[in-house]
Amino acid sequence: MSRLHDMGGRYGDGLIPVPRDGENEVTNFEPTFKYEWHAKAWAITLAAGALGEWNLDISRHYRECLPPKDYVNFSYYEKWLAALTNLLIDKELISLNELKEYVSAVENGTLKKFSDNDIKLDQRTWLAKDVQKTLGWGGPSVRDIDIIPVFNIGDKVITENYSPNKDISGGHTRLPKYAMGRVGVIHSYNNNHVFPDKNAHGLGENPSPLYTVEFKSSELWGELAESQNDSVLLDLWEPYLKLFPH
Amino acid sequence: MSEKKNIAGGDNHSHDHAHSHLPSDPELRVKAVETLLLNKGLIDSKTLDELIDTYENRIGPKNGANVVAKAWVDPEYKKRLLIDATSAIRELSYQGRQGENMVVVENTPEIHNVIVCTLCSCYPWPVLGIPPTWYKSDEYRSRTVREPRKVLLEFGLPLDPKVQIKVWDSTAEIRYLVLPMRPEGTENMNESELAELVTRNSMIGTGLPKEIK
Repeated sequence: MSRLHDMGGRYGDGLIPVPRDGENEVTNFEPTFKYEWHAKAWAITLAAGALGEWNLDISRHYRECLPPKDYVNFSYYEKWLAALTNLLIDKELISLNELKEYVSAVENGTLKKFSDNDIKLDQRTWLAKDVQKTLGWGGPSVRDIDIIPVFNIGDKVITENYSPNKDISGGHTRLPKYAMGRVGVIHSYNNNHVFPDKNAHGLGENPSPLYTVEFKSSELWGELAESQNDSVLLDLWEPYLKLFPH
Repeated sequence: MSEKKNIAGGDNHSHDHAHSHLPSDPELRVKAVETLLLNKGLIDSKTLDELIDTYENRIGPKNGANVVAKAWVDPEYKKRLLIDATSAIRELSYQGRQGENMVVVENTPEIHNVIVCTLCSCYPWPVLGIPPTWYKSDEYRSRTVREPRKVLLEFGLPLDPKVQIKVWDSTAEIRYLVLPMRPEGTENMNESELAELVTRNSMIGTGLPKEIK
């Protein structure tokens, strides 16, 4: 089983919303953020993430765990904001009462931002002077540990089926359902990376070999594949894979 | 509740879904959460400004275009880029968040590469900035792996049936950049002139570089 975010290959979606210019030609121009609230939802998510109370995999899992009707109805940054709100509550950075108080205030027009002098910054708070340094460092997921990868380039492998997350029913995974139970070929080995299926649930980083695996379109979509020559490549962790035939 | 939730379960957090208490207008929703976090000192407004300014004005597809143009004029750089893209891109001082592990895939007359993230919206920020709306759309995420040729047609890019398409689904923390083919008739152009031809879509695989008039 899977969740709504795992939409690769599904039917029913219409035309790509490709931006076009006045002459109806495809244009590359699009503002970075269409509305100010998009920019704010994005920026407060990054800034709150920098408090260190959760990792990237946890924040992804929170977006994925939005109720299906919300996941479908929310626009992109609404999903970000809803997941952030749930995280802030669960991690007790804010309380539900505080949230309700601020929601009423914004709806009544009585919302007040304190003056900077009245705000005491938390010691974890991400400061503007550190922004470029932190962005430049990023959040590396490679772990320098001594694991010998089981598979070699060119090996035929088959992916896990049904529920790749072996610890948690409905848990986070990065094996999309369209590529479950399919046979592919190891294209490359990309070092050992933090394993999201565990890291998203506070079960440790468990770094594991990460491979790029190539699947023929016909293996994924059968005889009706657009072209028998095309392929799809996915980055998959070793626990998702078994040697084929096994 | 004295102990923080440890997120042990797939669905065990916020059964009453705190987000359902938010106002219906998304603008007010953001305002409420932002102001609460600011007043509690958990975020700093100067940090928000710095972040937004960085990605609106400093980090974007121009970075990627410089990488591509350099690879077009400098065969040694291109070699380094295809072997270890992260280091080669760092030579131009582009690095960090959402570009920690870069891979560059080269278009040739036989192979056309396209990048997608079916599970969320993974995208190489240091070289392309924040993804455009279409890249994050359900339509692009769902269809590109199954019918890339129809998708590319919608971008005005009909592909010869003989050309093989490789779709790269960014399911982990590797971020991909397409190295498009250098347009014909550009032999006399220098690196900065060439960079002007490199469009964002050409580095995702949904477009080609601009042709010279």
